[in-house]
Amino acid sequence: MSLIEEIRQAVIVGDAPDAKAKVEQALNDNLTADTVLREGLIDAMREVGQLFEEGDFFVPEMLIAARAMKGALDLLKPHLVEEGVEPLGKVAIGTVKGDLHDIGKSLVAMMMEGAGFELVDLGVDVSPDKFISVIQDGADIVAMSALLTTTMPNMKLIIEEIEAAGLREQVVVMVGGAPVTQAFADQIGADGYAADASSAARKAQELIGR
Amino acid sequence: MTQQLSVPTLQPFLRILSDEQIQAIHIATLEILEKIGVEFDDPHGKSLLLDAGAWESGDRVKIPEKLVNDAIQNAPSRIPMYTRLGELTMPLELGKVFFGSGSDVTFVRDVYTGERRRAIAQDVVDFARLADALDNIDFVMSMSNPVDVPPDDLYLYEFIGIVRGSIKPNVYTVKNRRDLEDIHRIGVAIAGSEQALREKPFFLLYPEPISPLLMPSEVIQKILFCAEKGIPTAFVPSANPGGGGPITLAGALALGNAECLVGLILTQLVRPGTPFLYGFNTASLDMKTTIVSYGSPEWSMGMAACNDLARHYNLPVWGFGGATDSKVVDAQAGAEYTFSLLTALLSRTTLVHDVGYIEYGAGAAMEALVIADEIISMARVFARGIEVNPTTLALDAIARVKPGAGFLADDHTLEHWREAQWKPNIVDRSRYQQWDEKGRQDMNARANARARDILADHQTPPLSAEAEAAIADVLGQRAAVRQ
Repeated sequence: MSLIEEIRQAVIVGDAPDAKAKVEQALNDNLTADTVLREGLIDAMREVGQLFEEGDFFVPEMLIAARAMKGALDLLKPHLVEEGVEPLGKVAIGTVKGDLHDIGKSLVAMMMEGAGFELVDLGVDVSPDKFISVIQDGADIVAMSALLTTTMPNMKLIIEEIEAAGLREQVVVMVGGAPVTQAFADQIGADGYAADASSAARKAQELIGR
Repeated sequence: MTQQLSVPTLQPFLRILSDEQIQAIHIATLEILEKIGVEFDDPHGKSLLLDAGAWESGDRVKIPEKLVNDAIQNAPSRIPMYTRLGELTMPLELGKVFFGSGSDVTFVRDVYTGERRRAIAQDVVDFARLADALDNIDFVMSMSNPVDVPPDDLYLYEFIGIVRGSIKPNVYTVKNRRDLEDIHRIGVAIAGSEQALREKPFFLLYPEPISPLLMPSEVIQKILFCAEKGIPTAFVPSANPGGGGPITLAGALALGNAECLVGLILTQLVRPGTPFLYGFNTASLDMKTTIVSYGSPEWSMGMAACNDLARHYNLPVWGFGGATDSKVVDAQAGAEYTFSLLTALLSRTTLVHDVGYIEYGAGAAMEALVIADEIISMARVFARGIEVNPTTLALDAIARVKPGAGFLADDHTLEHWREAQWKPNIVDRSRYQQWDEKGRQDMNARANARARDILADHQTPPLSAEAEAAIADVLGQRAAVRQ
């Protein structure tokens, strides 16, 4: 088994200490941080997401893998900066104004982080202003979540405010949450929708084209 | 803190009769046996009873309390049952619960075509293979009453189909003593010797007297044979309310109990300690259609009561579950399966048969057995109860959590999720979109797919050459007699 393959396996089974040790070894062996990131960590999480979507992995197994990925990524970060590797993208995520339901949103955040995105977790009950300012600070994706049908209209409102601020072209807008559907996403002019955390991470990669 | 006493689970448990009710039903039972009597035409059985202190009165045999008490005293409290490979997998004893299929249905729903057709010999093998593969099925019955074999050899083919299809312990039916002798011969060949079979029995006989109060010679001879050979038997009257039994459940319980105890007495007179599985059926005779209802709550209630009586006598107990009056595997089937299977488990019925029946016991479907297997697995989790201890109280995790943020990604969840939650197999919990994309299958369709997968893949260890030779020999002799 190649070292990259060993890193992949360590992440898939969620063995964080092993993943870190193998990444260190890879760097000592002069593999580039970029290779380790793409062929090791990100590819491992792609497989984890696929296993989850096919019903072979449960959420906790996915989370344990995401943790292992994150630990290894932290180790890799200075080397990526050194090599001038751009991060996959910056995602700002939060539940919309009036909605305090954190659990689903946080799961999506963890999976996006596992997919290699830089995450800004805005928390719950996030005002439109906060979404606007995080786009101004360079967020590539804004991901909004709503659990209640009563807070869903706020998603539309936020998209309108992003447009009004002249920022709509520079940001990808994703929506999700139990009552949200693809049809609703289309109707309010969002760029993407996903039904669960794993496909949200995959969708984000597709939308950002990397 | 020093080691404190652990708090075990309550292990939820269903009891339906009070001590006074058990006593009242027991006394009514004694009254039936001693004052009303049963009709009895088997000379051997009758002489056993008369020699022991029963007496004849008109066309009835009347049985005194002493015989009842002695039989209960002499009967073993446990019947260890083995696979045909000699592994103990079904110790029939109070407190344990084992599930299995049913016997002798006329019609099966073909798993490939969905067609309702007469059962054939291959169905016995296929149902046995399916039962062999399902984790929550402990024993196997014929399910099918095949139409494509010589009628006199039908029960022989059932037994052969069962042992070819499964290694699990089985419960079998026969027409007469000749069937029993031939099956015993095959059983001896499978076990290796008569001694080995007696020490590690892997089949248990299911004979039924005719309620009310009729003890046909052919049926009595069956249990006498088992007692002679020391092989386990049940003796299951169907005191079905409104049919074989009084319409009111209490009377049906007293009658069924009395009839069953006649079987117990006889087996213990032949050989004290003969393994005997106590129990009787109380499936309502439906007043609209005259079917005997396999989904009736009366049967489940009667079974729970039968368990209360069995505990009073300290005997393992026969019962039923996972059967329906529905003609198809539908919502009615699911409701009736769940009702009876959960009752069976909560009342601690030792041996639960008829799992996978449809059509008031006239039919069987593979999908039904697969679905019932899943319900049993849910019910077992429920019956285990709730474990309460420092780990499961999770105070550290509760202290750790950010209000509103949830436990999904908490270490406590990641550590305990596997054992803390029941996980479905064919029960569907997918989101609508996924379900839609995967072909909008209902439970029946998923069960059908699983049954087909099992039939395609499952390998049952074959019988030994000696066993197959004994089968060929028995069948050959029977064919020769026919010509």
